[in-house]
Amino acid sequence: MIRINNLTKRYGDTAALDRFCLKIERGIIFGLLGPNGAGKTTLISILNGLTRFQEGEVEIFNLPLRQNLRQIRKRCAFIPQSLAFYENLTVHENLRFFAGIQSITGRTLQDSLDRAISVNHLQPLINRQSATLSGGEKRRLNIAIGLLNNPDILYFDEPTIGIDPESRNDILNTIRTFKDDNKTVIYTSHYMEEIEKICDEVAIINHGKIIRQGKLKEMLQQEGSNSAIIELHKCGPTRLDRISKTVTGLRVLNPDTLLLSPQNSGVMAKLLTILEREDISVRQIRYQSLSLESLFINLTGQEQSDV
Amino acid sequence: MLKKEFLLIMRDRHALAALFIMPSVFILIMSMALKDTFSSDRAFINYVVIDQDRTAISMELATLLKKNRLLKEYQQHISSKKQLQQALNDDLTFAVTIAVGFSKSLGNENPAVPLTLNVASDVQQNVLRLFEGELTGILMKLRIKALLHKLEPALPGISAKTDARLLDQSSLIQVRFNDLQNSQFPTSTQQSVPSWIVFGMFFIIIPMSTIFISERRQNTLMRMNGMNISIPALFTGKIVPYMVINQIQVLLMVGVGIFIVPLLGAAPLTPGNSVTALLLVSTGLSLAAIGTSMLIAVSVNTVEQATTIGGILNILFGAIGGVMVPKFFMPPAMQSFSIVSPMSWGLEGFLDIFLRGLGPRAVVTESFALAGFGLLMLLLAWGIFARRTGKGL
Repeated sequence: MIRINNLTKRYGDTAALDRFCLKIERGIIFGLLGPNGAGKTTLISILNGLTRFQEGEVEIFNLPLRQNLRQIRKRCAFIPQSLAFYENLTVHENLRFFAGIQSITGRTLQDSLDRAISVNHLQPLINRQSATLSGGEKRRLNIAIGLLNNPDILYFDEPTIGIDPESRNDILNTIRTFKDDNKTVIYTSHYMEEIEKICDEVAIINHGKIIRQGKLKEMLQQEGSNSAIIELHKCGPTRLDRISKTVTGLRVLNPDTLLLSPQNSGVMAKLLTILEREDISVRQIRYQSLSLESLFINLTGQEQSDV
Repeated sequence: MLKKEFLLIMRDRHALAALFIMPSVFILIMSMALKDTFSSDRAFINYVVIDQDRTAISMELATLLKKNRLLKEYQQHISSKKQLQQALNDDLTFAVTIAVGFSKSLGNENPAVPLTLNVASDVQQNVLRLFEGELTGILMKLRIKALLHKLEPALPGISAKTDARLLDQSSLIQVRFNDLQNSQFPTSTQQSVPSWIVFGMFFIIIPMSTIFISERRQNTLMRMNGMNISIPALFTGKIVPYMVINQIQVLLMVGVGIFIVPLLGAAPLTPGNSVTALLLVSTGLSLAAIGTSMLIAVSVNTVEQATTIGGILNILFGAIGGVMVPKFFMPPAMQSFSIVSPMSWGLEGFLDIFLRGLGPRAVVTESFALAGFGLLMLLLAWGIFARRTGKGL
């Protein structure tokens, strides 16, 4: 469905994507993870033909992107993070407008409108001015506009940002239904639990390269079943930073919590010796299954708050 | 696209006020404010005659001054030098003192007793020249009369024959305004409506650029780009509705000039004789305004920048182009410089139609210049927009 080979995109001397390779199969929900500036947005922009790239090959539907952009776009939809519609128009006027500029007319128009409205539960809001909708309702309208051309690929860029948990669940459930229609979803989010909840595969990107890619369940199993969280009595971040540099696989989560990656669990004894020598008392050691969040932090070396 | 743009404008009360109400109100206010400036019926120069001679001739001089509709006799009595000085410091403009012996010496070869003209210190030179001219004209008539009276014994009846003609200025001078019918004369409405139509049309800079910037910031333009909307299609979707809005503005403001302005006591607008000429100028002007709006919209980053730059540009174009201050008030260098403003071209076009009653041939240069300017701005906007959006692979 999507094949990217040695894709390079540079902004001046900085490479946003560096010989980037990725393959995404049809009918899956694919999560794209990475810290800010990792290259996620650049990648989605390139796949939508919104940004030029310097080197590499991109094929979508087995068609080279450069030569078949218009054709490919007709079968794709991009749902941006911002609410990309007109607040002074009603829900119906917005849907009609975006359908109109895609030359969707006649019977197809009515079908598209009906589908976009029903999937996103917009029927009761149809004549409301978009500015008066709640945050969750606006997000649903944003998604509905993307469904008008009945796309085979949907690109979601943080579609649940800034909304309440109920609306978020509602949207995630909606996105999950696209898989049943054999649509492919490329999904980026800062909420790890969302990715864990809906994605079949993920790719973790950093510095314009993929650092892990695969089926989510397999990846979490491969990376180890347990990681250790060591909670300490207060000791100051400087000392912890120094210690983390001496023990492989050790990360500082916050000023009184350390994370030891599962594959390095053998060094637990070494760590405890160092802590004792430094006169840092341990409050608690917990072993837990590796979450996507832990994996992400381990791989990118950053906390979620930096993402 | 077109419907969307109309709906957005129609639901933006501020934009509607800026596009339709503001220029209409301007027309009403300026037509009323300038009503008397273009009128020949209003006396605006105060004068007093201090007649120390008290003869038939000196009284006739006072009577002739009273007949001039531009002059208004000062009502307060002046009997001393101190009172005269005070009055000139207050609101008296001119004081004509006819000294004793003036009438007697008027018919002499070299009149020995001249009139004295006291002038308020804040009087403009052109007003002084106007009053002097009026006074000189009257003096000449009186002097000819005095000389004719001297000739009467030699040429009986000559005074009676020439008296009436001397006093009838219209038999000597016929005023005709260029390109107007004999009975027509320029009014404040004819002068101000074209100016404010031009100014109002350029006000689309504000709503057009702010809507465009909002679309860009909300990524709506990016979304449309992802839906295969090309830049020409996007620009056309902007140009056409705003051209229609501009035409509605012209109709509305001409309507205000014809129907509303007379209700407030000013002269109604005479819309000229050529709809084609009106369409030519308004279309050219519309393209120029839309091109400028698009260039601003694609060049700046925020709505605040667009409103500030758009507003300043509008006022500068207006000031340079003769909208704020009519060009004939400007010094020659400034009049030549005014050609840099597209508002000046539009204004000339509308004045040709409304004031001079000319047709399409007269406005074709201005119209094409405006359209060319608009297209150039649109091309620049296209280039900047394509570069900014990194459009195309």
